[in-house]
Amino acid sequence: MTIGGWIFLIASWLLMLGLAVFCLVRTLRAKDDGPAS
Amino acid sequence: MARERWGSKMGVIMAVAGSAIGLGNFLRFPVQVAQNGGGAFMIPYLVALLLLGLPLMWIEWTIGRFGGGFGHSTAPGMFHTLWNKNRFIRYFGVIGIFGPFVIYIYYIYVESWLLGYSWFAVTGAYNNCTTQESMKAFLAGYQGAADNPHFSGLGTAYLFFLVTFGANLLILYLGVQRGIEAACKYGLPLLFVLGAVLMVRVFTLGTPNPEAPDNNIINGLGFLWNPNWSVLGSVGHWTVAGASVPYWAPNAKVWLAAAGQIFFTLSVGFGVILTYASYLTPKDDVALSGLTAAAANEVAEVIIGGSLVIPAAFAFFGAATAQIAAGGAFNLGFVTMPLVFQQMTGGNLFGLAWFLLLFIAGITSSISLAQPAIAFLEDEFDLTKREAILIFGFNTFILCHVVIFFLDKGVLDEIDFWGVNVCLTVFGLVETILFGWVFGMEKSWTELHIGSDITIPGVYRWVIKYVTPAFLAVMLIFWMAQQGKSVILMEGVPPENRGYVLGTRLLLLAILVNLTVLVWMAWRRRQRKEAQP
Repeated sequence: MTIGGWIFLIASWLLMLGLAVFCLVRTLRAKDDGPAS
Repeated sequence: MARERWGSKMGVIMAVAGSAIGLGNFLRFPVQVAQNGGGAFMIPYLVALLLLGLPLMWIEWTIGRFGGGFGHSTAPGMFHTLWNKNRFIRYFGVIGIFGPFVIYIYYIYVESWLLGYSWFAVTGAYNNCTTQESMKAFLAGYQGAADNPHFSGLGTAYLFFLVTFGANLLILYLGVQRGIEAACKYGLPLLFVLGAVLMVRVFTLGTPNPEAPDNNIINGLGFLWNPNWSVLGSVGHWTVAGASVPYWAPNAKVWLAAAGQIFFTLSVGFGVILTYASYLTPKDDVALSGLTAAAANEVAEVIIGGSLVIPAAFAFFGAATAQIAAGGAFNLGFVTMPLVFQQMTGGNLFGLAWFLLLFIAGITSSISLAQPAIAFLEDEFDLTKREAILIFGFNTFILCHVVIFFLDKGVLDEIDFWGVNVCLTVFGLVETILFGWVFGMEKSWTELHIGSDITIPGVYRWVIKYVTPAFLAVMLIFWMAQQGKSVILMEGVPPENRGYVLGTRLLLLAILVNLTVLVWMAWRRRQRKEAQP
């Protein structure tokens, strides 16, 4: 695996994980998981 | 009749994520990456996510919640509320029921194979198939395409189809909260756990065959992720006033492949997000919920999907993986992966985890494909859920048999082309124009931010209005130019299958006409009700 491959692998993982964690934290902080309606 | 609602904010996010996370995340994505530049493919992929995927996600969540406020769960009614001066716009909304309906017809049959293979993994039914050829023969026997020692006829496949079909209807019958939401709330965490277990197993494969030291998991990851920049575009030269001016021209095939992958993976353009979002209340957030569902889908696709089939296949089959991947996603899932798991200790258990993961991904998607048609019957004809499901179930059950009995005649590919390639893009383009131009960007932007837990960057006003529709129009033109003529003229279809393909086309046309008539009837009915004192 080339350095370029490692960079793309790690960057893609970090980006997607970072987005997911950001969204999850904001969702949990915004409202408790009570009824949506 | 009181309108159904989601039970919790996390429930609706999981339901939309469940709809988005499908077989394509684990089978289609890695093949696309491997065939379109490896890691470099992530550049057009991210561009498409930002300019096409996320805007469409927000558009659909917003239109869905807005239309739900008027008692509509499907596109015909929603489009009418966005442009009530145009009496024909509701007929464009028919695509939002037609697309998921016809995809459901074949998707549920493929989903049933996964249940079947989960069972075969437990019982070890395919354990004596040790080569690509014998595993392909096993699959062909199961599909009824060949009589062989493994299967004689379609009986086994049909049994698993009946179980899968029944399970889908049961979830749908239980309703939005107790059925769809509950299935996704339990199914998605299980899917991520299974994905994590399989990732650990694949990453610890090392060098399975010491006699072929190059066939190892690191090189497998490299096969998928090493960037090949040359496929993204090429450098040319213009001669301007005698001087040579360099320019860079993108490779349309790769950029369209990335846009297509984003389109399919996020379940945008199907009409299913519209229906799911219609069960929100007018004050529920859509901006953050849409982004969260997209993020969950991306984790499943890029991290789990990018770590399983191709790296594992490379560790066992080395350079032949390129040929295997070219054989298609089904080949990887149903032929290569069982062979890979067979060579591991506890292979049957890992095989079960693999097929169960795909089955969960499939069923959380198929229930979302069914919901628009059922919701349309409930909303527009005041049918009870039981009545709507009986009508939907009867019709789809009959239609599924076309796919089951004529699978090897090109029927599935034909439905896939019209249901996915054409309908999704056209529907996405129509709803984007309605949202950004007809309803108006100012009103749409305000509607999007009602109850919002995040503020979307202002640049997206411009992206939604200009860039996304332009992107979609280019996609549609290129696809029609690249594939349209050959598909319409059946150029790649063997002469003996042309009758079947033509028959499928007429069947799809009949379904479209029927749905259009139903929309017309629904509005006549609505007008009569409104005219009553």
